[in-house]
Amino acid sequence: MALTEGDDPLYGSGSGFSKILLVRHVDYFPLLNTGLLAARRKMKLWVLAVLISFAGYSLSEEENVARLLASKNVLNQYLVEGRDLTVQYTIFNIGGSAALDVNLKEESFPEQDFEVVKGNLNVKWERIAPGTNVSHVVVLRPLQFGYFNFTAAEVSYKPSENAASAVVGFTSAPGEGGIVGSKDFDRKFSPHVLDWLVFAIMTLPSLTIPFLLFYRSKSRYDTPKPKKN
Amino acid sequence: MEFAGKMISLVVLLVVPFVVLGDSCLSPEVKAETYTTTEAIVSTETVFIVQFTLTCKNKVRDMNLYADINGRTLPVTKTDKPDLYQVSISDDHKKLSSGKYEVRLYDEEGYSMLRKAQRSGESVDSVKPVTSITFNHPGVSKGPFVQSEFVAVVIAVLVWYFAYSTRSQLQSSN
Repeated sequence: MALTEGDDPLYGSGSGFSKILLVRHVDYFPLLNTGLLAARRKMKLWVLAVLISFAGYSLSEEENVARLLASKNVLNQYLVEGRDLTVQYTIFNIGGSAALDVNLKEESFPEQDFEVVKGNLNVKWERIAPGTNVSHVVVLRPLQFGYFNFTAAEVSYKPSENAASAVVGFTSAPGEGGIVGSKDFDRKFSPHVLDWLVFAIMTLPSLTIPFLLFYRSKSRYDTPKPKKN
Repeated sequence: MEFAGKMISLVVLLVVPFVVLGDSCLSPEVKAETYTTTEAIVSTETVFIVQFTLTCKNKVRDMNLYADINGRTLPVTKTDKPDLYQVSISDDHKKLSSGKYEVRLYDEEGYSMLRKAQRSGESVDSVKPVTSITFNHPGVSKGPFVQSEFVAVVIAVLVWYFAYSTRSQLQSSN
């Protein structure tokens, strides 16, 4: 029956018989239990110290390298065929030193499905300072409607000046989006001015025919009424 | 021998200025294309994209440029095409309202002088940019000012009112 820290050192956690034994045990060796507790506490402190120094060491390694996090967002509320689709890339440097020769390569928009309105899909920055971010925007126009999976773009950079090879990473992927056809979008959002004009013209007969009848009979049979006063 | 010496010194005098000013751009020529967001229904943020080609007489390629636009300083993005650069910013529709905007381009030296001026609180206009590009943002359209359905309802109510008032006039005068 091992004593754990939560137990009362005098009575332990056992049944009556073992309790008596424990009491006796504790009586004869009053300092032993406190010694065990202290030793356990010391060990825990040691483990904690080792862990902290290890973490500190590994964190200090980050001081000399650059680490880039890249995000890709679609700044659109609706994705409509034939209207602008804005894609924004933001690259953050969370490392301790500047990232060099940063390249962003976007190859996930096929030419026949997306037309580039403005912006470039393959860009580079010479240097991104630590703790700063850069952003890049490209405007595309979808040429087809349907579901499209927006996948990640590729970012490559050199984490330090004397790095042997470039590190390749990916941006976040916005996921799947539905590109609405232009007809469906217009049906919902366009001002429909022409439709209203046609409607007005179609209601004119039901308004003007009674009015003309009234006006004709009025002008034929109307006699000027004498004023009452 | 004297003539040769003179020639050498003349050549050196002509070449040295170009060597000293090796990194900065002489007589820059800029051709810019800009894009600004026009529809607020479809886009959630206003975006400005300035794509420009900057050529210098002294054929300086692949320059590290910095742009100052609307009070923001940011590095200029280089593209895979030579001499083609891009500056892009994005923000809320309300923060990037319509009007004229100026993009000032600085090279490395200009940028460090600009940062110094900003830190010491001096006027930013004292630092001369390599070149500057102005463009106009016509503003985002949030859709028609009055909804067409609203106009149709108003006209219908007016027609009804006219008919009703005429009818009550006729009835009362009877």
